[in-house]
Amino acid sequence: MQTLILFLILVSTYLMVIAKRMPALIRSFRYQSFFLFWITLGAAFAGGHAELYFVSALILTLKVFLIPSFLNRLAGKIKVDENLGLFINAQLSLIFALALTYCSWVFSQTLNFTPGSFQGTAVTVSFSVIFIGAFLMIFRMKAFTQVLGLLVMENGIFLFASSVYGGMPFFVEIVVFFDVFTSVIIMGLFVYRINKLFTHIDVNKLSRLKG
Amino acid sequence: MNIFDGQSYFSFDALSLFFLFVIFVISLPSAVYSFGYLKGEYSSAKIKLSWVLLALFILSMALVVTVSDALIFLVAWEIMSLVSYFLVVFDTTQEKSVQAGTIYIVMTHIGTAFLIAGFLLMHKYAHGFGFAAIKNASALMPAAVRNITFLLLLIGFGTKAGIVPLHIWLPYAHPQAPSHISSIMSGVMIKTAIYGIIRFVIYILGVDSFWWAALILILAVISCLVGVIYALMEHDLKRLLAYHSVENIGIILLGVGLAMLFLAAQMPFLAVFSLIAGLYHLVNHAIFKGLLFLCAGSVYKATHTRDIEKLGGLIKKMPQTSVYFLFGAMAISALPPLNGFVSEWLTLQAFFLGAFSFSGGAKLLLGICAAMLALTSGLAAACFVKAFGITFLAQPRSRHAEEAKEVPLSMKAGMFFLSALTVIFGLASVPIVKLLSKVSGAATGISVSGMRFSLNNFILSPQIAKSNCLSAFWLGAILIALGTTGFIVYYSLRRKRPVIYQTWDCGYYKINARNEYTATAFSKPFRIAFSFFLLPYRKTQKIRESFYHVKSFAYETHTTPVFKKYIYDPVLALVFKSAKSMRRIQPGSIHLYLAYIFATVLLLIIFMHKF
Repeated sequence: MQTLILFLILVSTYLMVIAKRMPALIRSFRYQSFFLFWITLGAAFAGGHAELYFVSALILTLKVFLIPSFLNRLAGKIKVDENLGLFINAQLSLIFALALTYCSWVFSQTLNFTPGSFQGTAVTVSFSVIFIGAFLMIFRMKAFTQVLGLLVMENGIFLFASSVYGGMPFFVEIVVFFDVFTSVIIMGLFVYRINKLFTHIDVNKLSRLKG
Repeated sequence: MNIFDGQSYFSFDALSLFFLFVIFVISLPSAVYSFGYLKGEYSSAKIKLSWVLLALFILSMALVVTVSDALIFLVAWEIMSLVSYFLVVFDTTQEKSVQAGTIYIVMTHIGTAFLIAGFLLMHKYAHGFGFAAIKNASALMPAAVRNITFLLLLIGFGTKAGIVPLHIWLPYAHPQAPSHISSIMSGVMIKTAIYGIIRFVIYILGVDSFWWAALILILAVISCLVGVIYALMEHDLKRLLAYHSVENIGIILLGVGLAMLFLAAQMPFLAVFSLIAGLYHLVNHAIFKGLLFLCAGSVYKATHTRDIEKLGGLIKKMPQTSVYFLFGAMAISALPPLNGFVSEWLTLQAFFLGAFSFSGGAKLLLGICAAMLALTSGLAAACFVKAFGITFLAQPRSRHAEEAKEVPLSMKAGMFFLSALTVIFGLASVPIVKLLSKVSGAATGISVSGMRFSLNNFILSPQIAKSNCLSAFWLGAILIALGTTGFIVYYSLRRKRPVIYQTWDCGYYKINARNEYTATAFSKPFRIAFSFFLLPYRKTQKIRESFYHVKSFAYETHTTPVFKKYIYDPVLALVFKSAKSMRRIQPGSIHLYLAYIFATVLLLIIFMHKF
C-alpha cells in the first residue's frame, strides 16, 4: 500500500513536469501533497506517534488546501497568460525527469538499504522529487514556478525525512511548516509586485537588470 | 593550537636581539624627527593617527623578529604589512599615494601567499608551527620538499625585501609615505625580510645544497646593479633613495648568500665571517638610509618638492641638513672612514677569501660577484655626487629652493643622531664585529669562541696570516690628519683678499640658474653606457620661425621601465583577460545560477562514493 502511494507521488511529480499552464501545475502539486499526507498518516498508524497525526493534519490544511488555493488566487489576480514558459518542451522534460529518477535510484543503491525494501524506494522517490523540483525552478520561465519548485523540493525533503528516518523532531517539523507558509506568502507578494512593476513575471527577462 | 597554554612563543636569541636593536635605533630618531616634520603638514587629528600607526608599526616589527612560532610570525607579518600600507596611503589627498598603496598591498600579499604555502609545507612535516619543532623536522624532509620550501620562502621574503624582479612596489611605496615612515620602511621594514631568510633558510632549514646559495648570490648581484642603475636615472630624491634600497638589499644578500655557500661547503669560519659582513651592512644601511630619508624629508619640508632638477643651492639655506646629507651620502658611497666602507670592505674580503678557497665554477661566480659589487659601489658614489651636487650646490633652480629655510630642532636632532652613528659604526668596527660574530654564530649554529677577526682592538683582519687588514680607526685618523694639513696649507698660501667676480661664461651674457648642470645631463654617460638595459628614447620638438631661426626647442628623454613593460604588464593583462572571460559564466540569469547549484549537487551525489 505504502509503495503504491510512493508510486503515485512520483506520477504526480511527472504530471508537474509535463504541465504547461499554471492551474495544471497547482493541481498536480495538490495531488502530490495529498499523497504525502496519506504516507504520513500511514506512518502514524504504523508507529502510533501522536505527533505524526498532528503533522499529517498540518500537511492536509497547509499544503493541500491553503497554499494551493492561495497560489490559485494569485494566478487569477495576476491575469497574465497562464503559460509557464517552457525552456524545454514537455516531452524532453519528461525524459530529463526520468533520467533524474534513474540518477536518484543509482544514488539510493549506494546507501546500504536492503534491495527492494520500502526505504530504498522511498529514497529514490524523495530524491527524484527534490531533483525535479530544482529542475522546475531552472527550466521554467515564470517566477511562479520558482515558488512551486521550492515547495516541491520541500515535499521531497519531508518525504525523505519521514519515510526513511521516521520524521524530524516535532518542533523542527512545525518550524519548517511555518517557514514554508510564510515563504510562500512572501514570494507570492514578490511575484505580484514584479508583475505590477514590469507587467510580466518572466524571470528570464530580469537579466536585463544586471549592471 | 592554544595561544594561552602558558608556553612561551617568544625567543630572544642573539639574532632576534640584533634585529630588535636595528628596529629601535632607527625608529627612535625617526619618531623624534616626526614631531617637527608633521607639524603644519597635517591636521592635529591626522598627526595623532600617525602616532598610533607609528607605534603599531614598530610594535609589529618587533613582534616579527621575536616570535618563535610560524603562525604568530605570519600574523605579526600581516599586521606589519597592513599598517605600513595605511602609512603609505597616509597622504590620502594625493592620487599617487593611493596608487602606490595599491601596488604595495597587492605585491606584499602575493609575497605573504607564498610564505603561507611555505609554512604549511613545513607544518606538514613538523606537525606544529613552533620554530624548534620545524627545525627538528627539517632534517626529515625529502630533498624535493626542502627545495620547494626554499623557493617559496625566497619569493615570499624576496617580495618584501625588494629583490629584483620583485622590487616593483618599492620605488612607488617608499617615497609616498611621510619621510620618517620612509626612513623606517627602507631602513628597517625591508630588513625583516632578511631576518626571515636568515631565520627560516639558514637557521631552520639549514643549507645543504650549493644552488640555493648560488641563486641568492645571482639575484643579489642583479638587485645591486639594477637598483643602482635605476637610481642614477632618477630625479625624484626619495625614489632615488628607494632604488638605492634595492641595491643595498642586494649587498646585504651577497653576504647572506656567501654565508650559505660556505655553510653548504662546510667552511664554518668563512660562513660566520660572511654573515657578519651581511649583518654589518644591514645595520649600516639601516643607519645611513634612515638618515638620507630624513634629510630628503627635510628638503621636502623646506621646499615642497622632491624633484632635484628644481632644487639647488640648499647648502647655503640649510647648512646643517646638507652636512647630514653629506654624511649619509659618503656612508652609502662606501667612503672611508664611515660605516658603509667597513661593511663593503668586509663583504669584498669574504668574496676574495671564498674565491681563493674554491676552484672551478664557484671561483668564477665569486670573482664575478666581487667585480659587480665593486662596480655597484662606484656607481653609487656617482649617483650621490649627482644627488648631493644637484640638490645642495650651485644656484637655486626654482622659487621653492630660493625660499627654503632650515628645519626645526627636533628634525635636526633625529638627523644628527643618525649621522653620529655613521661615524661611530665606522670607527668602532672591531667591537661591533665581535658582537656580530655572536649573532652570526647563533644564526648558523656554529661555535664562534675560537674564531678571531681582529688583531687588536683597532685592526680588523679576517686572515692574519695573509695580512689583509683594515683599521677604520687609524684610517680615519690619517684622513683627518691629511685633511687638516691640506686645510692649513690652503689657508697659509691663499690669496688674502677674496675676489668676487662673475663666472667666465664663454662670451655669453646673463647666465642664470637655467644654465646650470642638471641631473639629466649628469646621468647621460650612464644612460648611454647602460642603454642595452635602460632602452632610452627621446622626443624632440622644434618650432621654427624660418629655416635659420629656431624659436623654441623641446627635448625630452625617457628610459623604458623594462621590468614593468616586459614582466608585470603582460601578467596584469593576462589576469584582466581571464577575469573578463570568467565574467561570461555570470550572465545575470537566475535560471542559470540555479542550474549551477543543481549541476553541482548532482555531480556531488553521483561522485559521492569516489571521495
